[in-house]
Amino acid sequence: MSTIASGEFWAFVGVVAGIYTLLGLGIQLEFGFAGLLNFGHVAFMAIGAYTMAIVVVKLGWSMWIGAPLAILTAAAAGVAVGLPTLRLRADYFAIVTIAFSEIVRYVATNEERLTGGTQGTINLAGAGEASSYNGQWERFQGWLQSTLHLGSKDVTMLIVVWVAALAGCTALWAAGRTPWGRVLRGIREDEDAVASLGKNVFAFRLQALAIGSGLAGLAGCFYAWQFSFFSPNDFAPLLTFFAWMIVILGGLGRFFAVPVGAVVFGVLFAGTRFFDFAPFSWFDSAERAYLRLMVIGLAIIGLILFRPQGLLGRREELVLE
Amino acid sequence: MFLQLVANGLVTGAVLAIAAVGVSLIYGILGLVNFAYGDVMTFGAFVAVLCNGRLGMGMVVAAVLAMVSTAILSLSLEGVLWRPLRARRAGFMSLFLASIGLALVLRQAIFLVAGPQPRSYDVDPYKVYVLGSVRLSGAQAIAVTVAAAAIVAVALVLGTTSVGRTMRAVADDRALAAVAGIDTGRVIVLTWILCGLIAGLAGVLAALVQSSFDPNFGFSLLLPVFAAVLLGGIGSASGALFGGLLLGLATEVSTWAGFHGGVNPIYKPVVAFAVLIAVLLVRPQGLLGRARTL
Amino acid sequence: MSTLLEVNGVVRSFGGIHAVDGASFDVEQGSITSLIGPNGAGKSTLFNVVSGFLRPESGRVVLDGRRIDRRPPYAIARGGLVRTFQTPRALGRMTVRENVLIAAPQHPGERLPQTILRPRRVRGRERSARARADELLTLVGLENHADALASTLSGGQRKLLDFARALMTGPRLLLLDEPMAGVSPTLRVQLLQHVLELRERNGVTFLIVEHDLDLVMRVSDVVVVMNEGRVIASGRPAAVSADPRVVDAYLGARP
Repeated sequence: MSTIASGEFWAFVGVVAGIYTLLGLGIQLEFGFAGLLNFGHVAFMAIGAYTMAIVVVKLGWSMWIGAPLAILTAAAAGVAVGLPTLRLRADYFAIVTIAFSEIVRYVATNEERLTGGTQGTINLAGAGEASSYNGQWERFQGWLQSTLHLGSKDVTMLIVVWVAALAGCTALWAAGRTPWGRVLRGIREDEDAVASLGKNVFAFRLQALAIGSGLAGLAGCFYAWQFSFFSPNDFAPLLTFFAWMIVILGGLGRFFAVPVGAVVFGVLFAGTRFFDFAPFSWFDSAERAYLRLMVIGLAIIGLILFRPQGLLGRREELVLE
Repeated sequence: MFLQLVANGLVTGAVLAIAAVGVSLIYGILGLVNFAYGDVMTFGAFVAVLCNGRLGMGMVVAAVLAMVSTAILSLSLEGVLWRPLRARRAGFMSLFLASIGLALVLRQAIFLVAGPQPRSYDVDPYKVYVLGSVRLSGAQAIAVTVAAAAIVAVALVLGTTSVGRTMRAVADDRALAAVAGIDTGRVIVLTWILCGLIAGLAGVLAALVQSSFDPNFGFSLLLPVFAAVLLGGIGSASGALFGGLLLGLATEVSTWAGFHGGVNPIYKPVVAFAVLIAVLLVRPQGLLGRARTL
Repeated sequence: MSTLLEVNGVVRSFGGIHAVDGASFDVEQGSITSLIGPNGAGKSTLFNVVSGFLRPESGRVVLDGRRIDRRPPYAIARGGLVRTFQTPRALGRMTVRENVLIAAPQHPGERLPQTILRPRRVRGRERSARARADELLTLVGLENHADALASTLSGGQRKLLDFARALMTGPRLLLLDEPMAGVSPTLRVQLLQHVLELRERNGVTFLIVEHDLDLVMRVSDVVVVMNEGRVIASGRPAAVSADPRVVDAYLGARP
């Protein structure tokens, strides 16, 4: 193997895993608990990221306002999407949500004045001016780093993201154990039965969608801060599929399985970068990228065929049918 | 200008329609929302470009070879993936996710083998058919006529042959068909062959109309195809047809200047989705679909 | 006695066939009313219409003076009309106790703001709900399965679970869709006893679809007979069983 990269690289992998955990938590709530086939999840991440960036750059507001606003906007978007579509049957809902995520990507690409267009947020302040929404974040990060006597920027980011991710896990785990969570699980099992017992299935689903979308919005903010610049193509359906895969890998129905899936996936995906042996060595780096995605596709199929309950799930409680 | 848009719409719509019929049959008979369909279409398009470009064969031969190759691909996938999944009593969700994984594998494989650069078929780019105020390129004319012929052929197969009738019976009610003694195994094989052929043809036609295409093009076409299927009503082949034509027309015609300047052509896919959502709001089961039963 | 449920001229068709073709009958408060008729008479469809799972094309359904025929199922259930299903609908991947707990009416814990702001109130309600759930499970004889997943229950046990769950909601009118099918004879007797007790002590009204005519005639206050989408007779069991139209309907029923 070639040199296994420095701790910085793995810190970076950890940050991405943390961001994916936040995304995956939303999916775990929406599907693992409420049975919703939301395949447009990445759209809410995009909405969160763009809202935060736009608020900071174009309105000049503090990121401490921008981020909560981003989460609320993403959650509101979730409600807006859910209102007309939650009454559709599951397979229709899945496809309509993908369509929605593509629409968001389209709008972000074409509405240059609002989002900076295809070149991304570097364009937010208008052509010719390289803009950055990251100033406040870098300062906050620097302050945290020196206060906690941490070695590097990446480690600081790692800690912040994972504090958020684990807080999310805990909050959702607690919510899942409430009577509210019980109704959600009932809806996943048999929505007609639950309706016949007097529960407003639509309202519960809408709540799950709103919370899941808000979490995706938070993931979007962290994505924005981590990568400094982003463009619409960063939010392709592929990310939604990755998030789904992480949730299934960890095991559906358990919130604390999501970070496990994210870390395992992140390590494997990043680790394959260093495979210098055959068959990887036959290909150049551009081709290896294709190969790695192929491996991910095969892994998804393998998971479904051989271990649909994921790493931490139990066969009898198999949520994936 | 308006008629030109209508003509363009019919071309796009015809290609969408034939692809949508394939997707719809797979859903109706196999219960599978096949996310890999777009990439199977891409596969066909690339096989054709290999034959047509590299090997210098004519478009017709290339297209036929493409169709045969996608049919073989579909059958192999049935043996390697779908049948084992059905043996494990995989439900809708598992099949859907597996098809997403499969789509990823196919697309990356095509990238790997053929590379990311755009391709084109070896057809005369200057050939133009003029009908009144409407101009159709050679590619468009071929696409619409062949798609129309294919639609008619598929309709005849489904409507008049005994094979077609069995397929429709299984699509209608799989459990009942099995109880009634229909050899569902055979129907499944025939379905994959038919839908494989359709996918190959649709891929080649779509690539023709687009004039230049890369390995991503099938997947980007997949969403409008799904929209057409949902619009027509999932499980209804005639609905898929209708949905495809309607969406093709709607997206092209929406750019007409007469509609308050028309929709920005960049937003054409958005128009397709908007039409879909508008219809689903009023009729959640699609235009010709069956309402949800308790 | 006052009328609790009024079904008036309900029509509902599928693909051109009138499954329910102008059905009308009343259910008196505190009664056990049975709905019988040959297969295909439209009983299930009528149940679905009354409980809100299907919309009638015309006609009215009135519960305690208020129209419910275009309201969603959950709203009708909250209004006191709860139904069970012909094929039991157990929530498989949840425990038996959770299946009953989920039916607890007006539980503040089902609203997230309440859970966060008033956790003690939620906990208190959950405790009382749990006690009631265990009571009901004992009533139907499933107390030993309380912590097992509902998917491990047999068909007959699932029917009992459905029954317990429906009772948990504290209904005024309970629609039972073939409650005795698939249940052992001893259990049938027990179920029947529960029905009668619930009627006596809690004033619960019952509308039951049942094929066991013997049972129906013994226990019902009112028998409503449907055939081909319409109500052809309605009244006390003795009168109905002697009615020539009813005899005709059963003898002339499609095979």
